[in-house]
Amino acid sequence: MTTVAQDQESRARATTLGRLGQGILDILQIIGEAGFLLFRSVRAIAGRGRTWERTMAQLVSVGTDTLPLAFLVSLFVGMVMVVQSADQLQAYTQEILGSIVGLAMTKELGPVIIAFLVAGRVGSATAAEIGSMKIYDEINALRTMDIDPVRYLAVPRLIAMALAVPMLVVYADVVGIIGGGIVVYTDPTVKISVHQYINNLAEWVNTKDIVVGLIKAFVFGVSIAVISCTFGFRTGGGAEGVARSTTAAVVWSFVLILMFDYIIVRLAIALP
Amino acid sequence: MTDRAAAPERTSSNGVTVEIRGLHKSFNGTPVLDGVDLTIEPGEIMVIVGGSGEGKSVLLRHIAGLETPEEGEIRLNGMLLPDYLRLQPQDKPFRISMIFQSSALLNSLTVGQNVGLRLHEYRSQPRATIEQTVARCLANVELAGKQHVMPGDLSGGMRKRVAIARALAVDPQLILYDEPTADLDPILTAQIGALIRSIRDQHGATQVVVAHNLALAVEIGDHIAVLRGGRIVDFQRADALRDSPNAFTQEFLRAAGLRR
Repeated sequence: MTTVAQDQESRARATTLGRLGQGILDILQIIGEAGFLLFRSVRAIAGRGRTWERTMAQLVSVGTDTLPLAFLVSLFVGMVMVVQSADQLQAYTQEILGSIVGLAMTKELGPVIIAFLVAGRVGSATAAEIGSMKIYDEINALRTMDIDPVRYLAVPRLIAMALAVPMLVVYADVVGIIGGGIVVYTDPTVKISVHQYINNLAEWVNTKDIVVGLIKAFVFGVSIAVISCTFGFRTGGGAEGVARSTTAAVVWSFVLILMFDYIIVRLAIALP
Repeated sequence: MTDRAAAPERTSSNGVTVEIRGLHKSFNGTPVLDGVDLTIEPGEIMVIVGGSGEGKSVLLRHIAGLETPEEGEIRLNGMLLPDYLRLQPQDKPFRISMIFQSSALLNSLTVGQNVGLRLHEYRSQPRATIEQTVARCLANVELAGKQHVMPGDLSGGMRKRVAIARALAVDPQLILYDEPTADLDPILTAQIGALIRSIRDQHGATQVVVAHNLALAVEIGDHIAVLRGGRIVDFQRADALRDSPNAFTQEFLRAAGLRR
């Protein structure tokens, strides 16, 4: 005969396992929905209907409107990197500062920082906008007008983010390197010249590093677009549901950015 | 409201026949539609009334193809609804429009862009012709010249009328209204009611209206179906509703102040 305590423990275990199982099922469901949305979006690109004007509007929203923030963030990241590295390298040599900033910006920090910025600024807005459209029946209204919501809403965002994030990354790389150069020029604790900084950078940063950074940016852009649209389309439950979708879209985007970052780095290192 | 005796004869039977047979739908194990049977003749205004949560909107969304039934079928002009929905837009023999309770206007577009959305999207007409269609549809709902206004700057009644203009712009043969007068004052309710009547008289489209407002239902409807417990429990000509022997209908009429 089981005691009351044993019974309670068994129920608690069942509840914990149940929650864990439900959590895993939810994650699989979201991955499935995101994959299907990506498939439908790619297929819809060739479909009937106008997309160009909406894509241009999204390009402005993702790209042009992000430029000021991307400038500030990248500039300070480049500056901080030189200050920190110069301090650590005082006992050794500061001549490698250019390669440190150049490689870090092009391979890692540029793509990841811009992706986080776009996920926080544009991904959240996308999830909120599509989520609101869902709860106010605007998406159903599109369906009754024979307008595919995936083509109308997801495709322009997917194209815009896939194009704009790599462009923003190139911009961020340049601004970050300039930021580092400003510190090299103005900070008395940095003992190298701007000329040495640029020479060292040019010596170490090669085409492969830049291409890997751009591939990352493209993958991050697609991931942010697909995830934010997926959470927008699966929104339910009024204003609270919109808030939940927005938060989930940003959190999922951040996790996917870092996950794909690792995968791409592993693949890039494995390649000759 | 429109004087029914003075209303002109319907110009054509432009509308679609809607046949609903044995429709079942449940949400989370709770039956919402429990064997709905209903036939709507072309060009008529069918008003579906019933209490809150009785499944009126769910029934309407099934007719629009936004919900899939668990059992039963819907035929439009004899064609099964799933077959109709599978057709490419340009191959569809008739068009369906729906006016949602929230109006469902796209807030990022102007009134004119909302009304001409489908036409622009499919480039079915030259731009100038689309602009003329938009202007005409807005004039039909007494919103002439409002093309460049944003939906957020309109009142609830105006938003509803824009939604109706958007529905009319695609020249539909079946128009579905989900609570078109919800949250509107009696004057705006009367205006929307008159508009629905005039659409029937001018376009001949079949119209299905889900409403709480029984007075409006009696005023505008050709037939009234009473939905309760997921079934049609009463079906009457609008002018014969007051004489219905159905106990629920009588209770509903008394609650609406249409019968002592």
